[in-house]
Amino acid sequence: MITRPAGSAQSDSFTHRVLPYDGMDQYLDGVLPFLLDGVDAGDRVVAVCGTGRETLLRDALGPAAPNVEFPDPATWYAHPPRTLADCLHDAADAARSGYRLRVLGEPVWATRSPIEVAEWQRTEAVTNLALRGTGASIMCPYAAALPAGVVAAARRTHPETVHGARAVTNPGFMDPWAYCERHDGEPLPEPPPDADTFKIDLPDLYWLRAYVGEYARRTPLPEEDLQRLLVAVTEIVTNALRHGEPPIVLRMWTDASGGVPAFVCEVGDAGRWPPGTGYGLVPPRPGDAASVGRFGLWAVRLLCSTVQIRLGDGGSVVRLRFALPPSADTNGA
Amino acid sequence: MHWAREVPGPAYPERTTEMDRQAMETPWLAKRPVSALRPGDHGWLAYSGLEERDRVIGPFVREGLETTEKVVYVTDAPPDRLPGLGSGHRIDVDAHRRTGALRVISLRDACLDRHGDFEPARMVDTLGREVGEAFDQGFRAVRITTDHSWLVNGPRRSDLGQVLGCEHRVGDTVSPSTMAMAICQIDRRACSPAELIALRDTHEVLVEVNPEFDDGILKIVRTFEPDGLRVEGELDAARHAVFAEQLSQVNTGRGRVHLDFSRLAFIDLGGLHLLAKHATLRPGGEPLVLDHLSPHVENVIEMVGWHRLPGLVRGGDEGPRPGSGGVG
Repeated sequence: MITRPAGSAQSDSFTHRVLPYDGMDQYLDGVLPFLLDGVDAGDRVVAVCGTGRETLLRDALGPAAPNVEFPDPATWYAHPPRTLADCLHDAADAARSGYRLRVLGEPVWATRSPIEVAEWQRTEAVTNLALRGTGASIMCPYAAALPAGVVAAARRTHPETVHGARAVTNPGFMDPWAYCERHDGEPLPEPPPDADTFKIDLPDLYWLRAYVGEYARRTPLPEEDLQRLLVAVTEIVTNALRHGEPPIVLRMWTDASGGVPAFVCEVGDAGRWPPGTGYGLVPPRPGDAASVGRFGLWAVRLLCSTVQIRLGDGGSVVRLRFALPPSADTNGA
Repeated sequence: MHWAREVPGPAYPERTTEMDRQAMETPWLAKRPVSALRPGDHGWLAYSGLEERDRVIGPFVREGLETTEKVVYVTDAPPDRLPGLGSGHRIDVDAHRRTGALRVISLRDACLDRHGDFEPARMVDTLGREVGEAFDQGFRAVRITTDHSWLVNGPRRSDLGQVLGCEHRVGDTVSPSTMAMAICQIDRRACSPAELIALRDTHEVLVEVNPEFDDGILKIVRTFEPDGLRVEGELDAARHAVFAEQLSQVNTGRGRVHLDFSRLAFIDLGGLHLLAKHATLRPGGEPLVLDHLSPHVENVIEMVGWHRLPGLVRGGDEGPRPGSGGVG
């Protein structure tokens, strides 16, 4: 368990602020000083927003506009752990070169499935752990028009709230680990009764990969994702064989329960994880390849669309989800 | 002549033929480790150094003598300096020569005319005679080898057309034989790439070193140009230890180590981590070069991030590379 160091919200080594806004005036009142301060300080300033906002911001920034990068939001917000890893990489890059990273980021909420929304919210929480001490500043505008739950979650995942040019401590902020624990305490839907079930008792995973590959090829899972699936499932089963307790059971099915069709591969065992494993949530710092186990589970998160881990007295379950092409027939296999 | 008679003694098990990139371009070529060579194989070895040569010809010679086959080595080098026969190999060279199991024949006696020039017909006759005698002596097989480097480079170099003609005739006699197998050696630096290809193409089998490890799932083969390993099959935690051991064997020298991953179908995260760990231990900070990555394996590495695997660099692309097996 990592507890939040006292006063970290005020620490100037990393800031992560939420900007709740209702209308463009409130938006610009918060965003403009943030961007202009960064340009003045010689930061690398990145604004991730749609083309409409970009035009608005460029006009408002005036001569400072060329010093602000506007990357494509669909690319930037493609995948929660990858976005976080890239952001950490950029922040470390900037720090090495003697400046800081400053990001205005507005994740896409409206078109996301519930599972994706939950993963992006978790990423907001984990950002506080991952970027600690990097010198980066991140501001996340949240429109009042968003669903109430999204705005409420933002208040739990950002240490500070912006009011105009002022930032105040956010009383609703939750310790990121506590946030993740709550998130991962929600029970997962039961696997469907017709899920393919396979008990693993051989330590040689060559056969397992052949089995998983054959099953997955009968689903609409793109060939490109198949190798990622095999790497991910190998890692999880290797961990279960090393640290878990038999029986180790693999289940596979396709579903659309999370709002998007997905290929699901679940590995369960009867063991319990020791505390402090980190669950692969926090990306390792660039250049720090010290912790193999953490690297492994973190990399699995990069390889899958979503990783869901549930631990309890009844054993441990790791569920790997791979999004399927939208038009896909999920009744395959 | 007894080239095609029935072999006495135990039959060789069914041969395995392995296709590779080069074999796919030149479908008549099969690639085999030296210990998988069988009667009828007219093999080709273009070596890049004495270590590679000795690790192919050494087992070829030794295994022949150990299994009471006949070994015919056409060379001017003294017998105790030949691959597999030198000190440390516990092979009684003189005893084997007395029984006729080992025949070391000088170039003059094997294939030169009165003026000291190469005479292809003599070479073919010599080999035919040796095989015939071996049959009469009751050997179940004959292993023939010679180094052709002097024929394409040096003061006594011969016309390439003559050498090719000779090779065709040797091939015509070895290939249908149930007794004879041959390895033609050449130093790949001895002639031009075009000449090497022309010579190689008169053979049906590319001979390479025996794999360092092969359990049907993972195969590790030492490569010499470039220096490194070819890793085939699937690598996961069940075989990390053997892979790490092989990697540390080639990890000691200076210069870059290349890993040919063209036939690596799977590598797990622990395997990638192991590679990165070994790369950081490289002397002189030289990276480990991953050659010919399949798109699937590369996709996984890219997803994890090359920057997270310091010391690993992407090498050559999929497909034939200059200097690949048999061609300079």
